[in-house]
Amino acid sequence: MPEARDVPDEAPPFLRTWRRVYIGVLIYLVAIIAAFYLFTRSYR
Amino acid sequence: MRPADWIVLVMAMVSVVAYGLYRSRGSGTVDRYLLAGKTMPWYAMALSIMATQASAVTFISTTGQSYVDGMRFVQAYFGLPIAMVIICATVVPIFHHAKVYTAYEYLEQRFDSKTRVLASVIFLFQRGLSAGITIYAPAVVLSIILGWPERVTITLTGATVVAYTVMGGIKAVTWSDVQQMGIIFVGLVVALVTVFILLPPSVSFGDALYLAGAAGRLNAVTTTFHWNDRFNIWSGLFGSTFLFLSYFGCDQSQVQRYLTGRSIAQSRLSLLFNAVAKIPMQFFILFIGAMVFVFYLFVEPPVLFHRAELSRIQGVTDFQPVESAYQRAFEHRREAALGLVEARHDGDSAARSRRLSEYRAAQREIDDARSRASSLVESTGGEQGFNDTNYIFLSFVTKYLPAGLVGLLIAVVLCATMSASSGEINSLATVTVVDLYKRYFHRAGSDHHYLLASRWATLLWGAGAVAFAGFGRKLGSLIVAVNILGSLFYGSLLGCFVVALAFRRVGGTAVFIGMLAGEAAVFSAFQFTGMSYLWYNVIGCVVVVVTALLVTAALSSTGLSSTGLSSTETRRQSG
Repeated sequence: MPEARDVPDEAPPFLRTWRRVYIGVLIYLVAIIAAFYLFTRSYR
Repeated sequence: MRPADWIVLVMAMVSVVAYGLYRSRGSGTVDRYLLAGKTMPWYAMALSIMATQASAVTFISTTGQSYVDGMRFVQAYFGLPIAMVIICATVVPIFHHAKVYTAYEYLEQRFDSKTRVLASVIFLFQRGLSAGITIYAPAVVLSIILGWPERVTITLTGATVVAYTVMGGIKAVTWSDVQQMGIIFVGLVVALVTVFILLPPSVSFGDALYLAGAAGRLNAVTTTFHWNDRFNIWSGLFGSTFLFLSYFGCDQSQVQRYLTGRSIAQSRLSLLFNAVAKIPMQFFILFIGAMVFVFYLFVEPPVLFHRAELSRIQGVTDFQPVESAYQRAFEHRREAALGLVEARHDGDSAARSRRLSEYRAAQREIDDARSRASSLVESTGGEQGFNDTNYIFLSFVTKYLPAGLVGLLIAVVLCATMSASSGEINSLATVTVVDLYKRYFHRAGSDHHYLLASRWATLLWGAGAVAFAGFGRKLGSLIVAVNILGSLFYGSLLGCFVVALAFRRVGGTAVFIGMLAGEAAVFSAFQFTGMSYLWYNVIGCVVVVVTALLVTAALSSTGLSSTGLSSTETRRQSG
């Protein structure tokens, strides 16, 4: 069985660095929890 | 099912299999069969990851969950984006650079062969049981809702999955997953639109939200903490982060999806797509359940959605008062709901407050009557811990959706079953061949030999899953136990990978002992506490890491080797 092929690393297609993409995802998480919290409060 | 439903169902199923097989052409080497030759684009991997994770129970059970308990289950996914970011930053590049077929292959490079075997066996045991349940769970629901014999549903879905997974390998699995997710999305949107169309004309979208919220069905975030409470923001953020780290970082059924990427960036994008899309998707599915609840405010639902059990207890004398109380409570609730909508439109706050109290009181009466009916099922020889949550959504679909759409929604359930089980069977075969067969039984075979072994392993695991699913009825409430079983092992696997990546000085023996200690701690927590299963992953992981560090320190103090280098690296250095 051959060794699995190595693959290249690349920059993300947006926000230039992966670090920025990760921060963007975490900001998105905070925003979505805040939105759900407001949604819950609005309709309880 | 009407002819239009059958046409839609058959067309959906045939197109999924045909498309998957068409896209899997050229899978004639082990590398292509197991890793698609590392050529997959991010969007195919992303949808495949999503499809593998979403089993039929996700759609059947999640909608029912929000019908009875509201939307707070969505919080169980809050840890997903955190876990995905950690995995993208750590294990994705490491697995790719290690040029491995499985996550456990990396453990031998980092530690030793016994750690690899222990992790592989844990995975095979836990995922092997789960594969049978994945096929069985929708079969039992479809048999009760549609009257299809369980054996027919199990054999049909099982044989279809095994056929395209054996023939096409991971490419067939991935591309059929993509199409299955397409059908699932369409089916869910159609279901939600249909629920709104079926609501009374006097009830607007805003009214529906108001009524669902007033009954506690839109509780997407709950901040109260309790160890035994499965779904709140704290268990979601902390407990589920560990669960998803284990699932996407250490479970081969997920790792194998993103190892097929044509670059590290493509693999990362596929995981980050899930980090962003999964929470809204779960919210959407739960929202459908909440809207089904609103629909049933105006159309009387059965006391229990499990038809067979309902028919059985209808003959019992004690059922009559329960049914009468239920019908009275339903009428009260319907009147209160209509009054509440009217008071809301008029802006009459006094009337609104009065109607709200009546509405909530009627809801408590309904919950009480349903609870008494469930107790009646249990006391007359039915399943202990009886719960009809899984039957709510399909019961609604088959009774109220127009011809053609029922077939589409049944196709959604079957597609979800096939996508989840094909990923499981494919990964089970990969671990069997790569981590056990090639490592211990046949080290120097040709590529063709291992390709053939992979096909046979896929066939055998698939046949095993179908056979195990065939005994599903005899398992009874053990199905719940088998689901919990999965979470009993993830923490230790995660701890092993955390040690591998974060503590270079820890060696194979220390982490092996740590894994055994982690399992002991998790089983103790399961046996002696009532805490939510999401916390098992945290406990298992922490105990593995702490024990491995303590053992390493103890070995160092006694002068024994505690290096984190693998046996190969040690030999290389000493040589």
